[in-house]
Amino acid sequence: MAEHAATVGVEVEEQFFSAEQQRHVATLGMWVFLATELLLFSGMFLVALVLRVLHPASVTAVALHLKFWIGATNAAVLIVSSFTMSLAIEASKAGLRRAMLRFLVATAALGVLFLCLKAYEYYRDWAEHMMPFLPGRPYVLDGDPASRLFTNLYFIITGLHGLHLTVGICLVLGMAFFGRRAGFLSRHQNRVEVLGLYWHFIDLIWLIVFPTLYLLNR
Amino acid sequence: MSPSDLALRDPVVPEATIARQPDYLHAKQTLSSWFFTTDHKRIGILYLVSITFFFILGAIAAGLIRLSLLVPNGSIFSNDFYDKMFTLHGVIMVWFFLIPSIPNTFGNFLIPLMIGAKDVAFPRLNLMSWYLYMVAALFTLICVVLGGVDTGWTFYTPYSTFYSNSWVLPALIGVVLIGFSSIMTAVNFVVTVHTMRAPGMTWFRMPLFIWSLYATSLIILLATPVLTITLVLLIASRAFGFAVFDPANGGDPVLYQHMFWFYSHPAVYIMVLPGMGVMSELVTAFASKRVFGYRFIAYSSMAIAALSFFVWGHHMFYNGMSESASLTFSILSFTIAVPSAVKVYNWTATIHKGEVRLDTPLLYAMGWIGLFVVGGLTGLFLASLAIDGHVHDTYFVVAHFHYIMVGATVEAFLGALHFWWPKMTGRLYSEAWGRVSAFLTFIGFNVTFFPQFILGYLGMPRRYNTYDPQFQVLNVVSSAGATILAAAYIFPMIYLIYSLFYGERAGPNPWDARGLEWTTTSPPPPHNFETPPIVDFDPYDYPSRAPEGG
Repeated sequence: MAEHAATVGVEVEEQFFSAEQQRHVATLGMWVFLATELLLFSGMFLVALVLRVLHPASVTAVALHLKFWIGATNAAVLIVSSFTMSLAIEASKAGLRRAMLRFLVATAALGVLFLCLKAYEYYRDWAEHMMPFLPGRPYVLDGDPASRLFTNLYFIITGLHGLHLTVGICLVLGMAFFGRRAGFLSRHQNRVEVLGLYWHFIDLIWLIVFPTLYLLNR
Repeated sequence: MSPSDLALRDPVVPEATIARQPDYLHAKQTLSSWFFTTDHKRIGILYLVSITFFFILGAIAAGLIRLSLLVPNGSIFSNDFYDKMFTLHGVIMVWFFLIPSIPNTFGNFLIPLMIGAKDVAFPRLNLMSWYLYMVAALFTLICVVLGGVDTGWTFYTPYSTFYSNSWVLPALIGVVLIGFSSIMTAVNFVVTVHTMRAPGMTWFRMPLFIWSLYATSLIILLATPVLTITLVLLIASRAFGFAVFDPANGGDPVLYQHMFWFYSHPAVYIMVLPGMGVMSELVTAFASKRVFGYRFIAYSSMAIAALSFFVWGHHMFYNGMSESASLTFSILSFTIAVPSAVKVYNWTATIHKGEVRLDTPLLYAMGWIGLFVVGGLTGLFLASLAIDGHVHDTYFVVAHFHYIMVGATVEAFLGALHFWWPKMTGRLYSEAWGRVSAFLTFIGFNVTFFPQFILGYLGMPRRYNTYDPQFQVLNVVSSAGATILAAAYIFPMIYLIYSLFYGERAGPNPWDARGLEWTTTSPPPPHNFETPPIVDFDPYDYPSRAPEGG
């Protein structure tokens, strides 16, 4: 069923002179923020690198315990979610509100699927005694104290990524909630684009996290 | 006598009718109009008040440290109390005063005014940054005062992760939060400078203060997240036994130092670059002269921002770094002196043969140059491997970084406060008291910190509350200097507050300075300009004079 295209635009806030300026500001602001996010994750990638140099055997032992196929599936899930996010942005540009809502919900659903798979992976880790930070629970690689470092790092990196993804899902759902209103696209269309940048960025981070933790030293 | 002659003799001045809208201070005066404001000028004032409050706290802690060091055996306070005061001083001064000082107060107030914008790019984010600052600062303060933290502001491992019995964990959370506040402000500034400039305000027409704040914001953006993640790893270590920085479990404590100084050395430039920006404004205004080498000063700010990321290793020459790494960092540390020196020469050249008015802001500026030169040159001593071997971890280092941080940043902060006070408040302060305070700051500072160079050279180690009795005389001199410095800080607080109520009203441009912020009224209206400005002039377009002696 063909949807009637809504008008698309932004409502100019008082500190700006034009809609064009406001769009530019919003996009640049998100890019600058993402630069800081990249540096945030880089710190952990650096630690992963240092651990691989200091204790290559221990890192390999841990990497062999990680659930490669769950991580790989999750990478695929996020790539598809980036695709649906792009479709949502295209729909918002074309003023197709209902299509945009559907794609947003699909994006959030894929994000939730990622988290469910991740939770199952954590459960498997728990069952296999791969949680050295739990007091009183035996750790499977106990004979190799240096391996604790990489295992813990795995939980910190994936935990922080999961936190970012959770924030992303909330934002996408919030956008879908406010996007239901008729005038949304005529006043705030660029918000969908800016949110899209964040979403793609979280996906990109996973595409670095996955090889760093699961693939190298395997 | 005709009526027109009468009018000439006794002119009847009609009641002044205020055609313009009320200024930003008087637009609304409810409490909520301050606490929920998105006006960058009001947020700047909120920062000014809160930062000054934390400065006073940090200064009191410093005073207690100097008091304890009057005697060599540390008998005035307990060791524990000394350690806690010492950490309080470091944490409060670095994160809650020095880093946000000039950017968050004067940057917030001035960036939109100087580039001809109505506000910053993200006004609500700006307000949120202040709230986050307050939450983080009060939270940290409560931790440090109630629980006490005894690690020093650097939180070095493995002491901070496994051995310290104080409230390290909450203090770390507070420092992570203040990092978010810094990042929000920096995002705002970078985007504002890129996108909100008035028509005609090209990059090379921007005041140099804007250039230096732009460079500062870039450093904040790239360095602060690294500190955040480092402290997150530290939190994980302390709370869950992560141990990545613990040598006993295969971790590496030097890795912590690398990651910490990757932020904290650039942070030194976060503190000093805004001061350099202030200098460019003060020097040109009071020499009433075009700045010498505009592009060189602008580019040198960017050069400092870039180089600041490659010198962190000089904090670790003797902490187990390889010789070749030390040599590399030593050479890189020397190179950063070049753009710094370019600035100093250019300001001096600007003052040279200018129509110099020795008013309070310029006195602070001249003091700044003197202190910065001493601090900078002793930095070169410390960048040399051999000399650093002799003086590292002594009072020489303490004196060096106080010359940069207190000498340069606080001096610039006070200079900026005096320079823009009429613009911020619409009032003039007592010039005589201003000059006295500027002199006192310079004298008090040197009496406090110059003896520490000698102490360090003679081998007095830093951080301890006890020392060899032979060092007592110089320590007493240093503590005496601190009291002069305290007076120099208290005076401005008194006469500036006094001027708020009884000061003469300032016109739009009391210093006859150039720049868009002086074209609007003092204090400015809520949206800064009655009509959006269009820039068709160069920065610092002071009237050029014919060469002298001709």
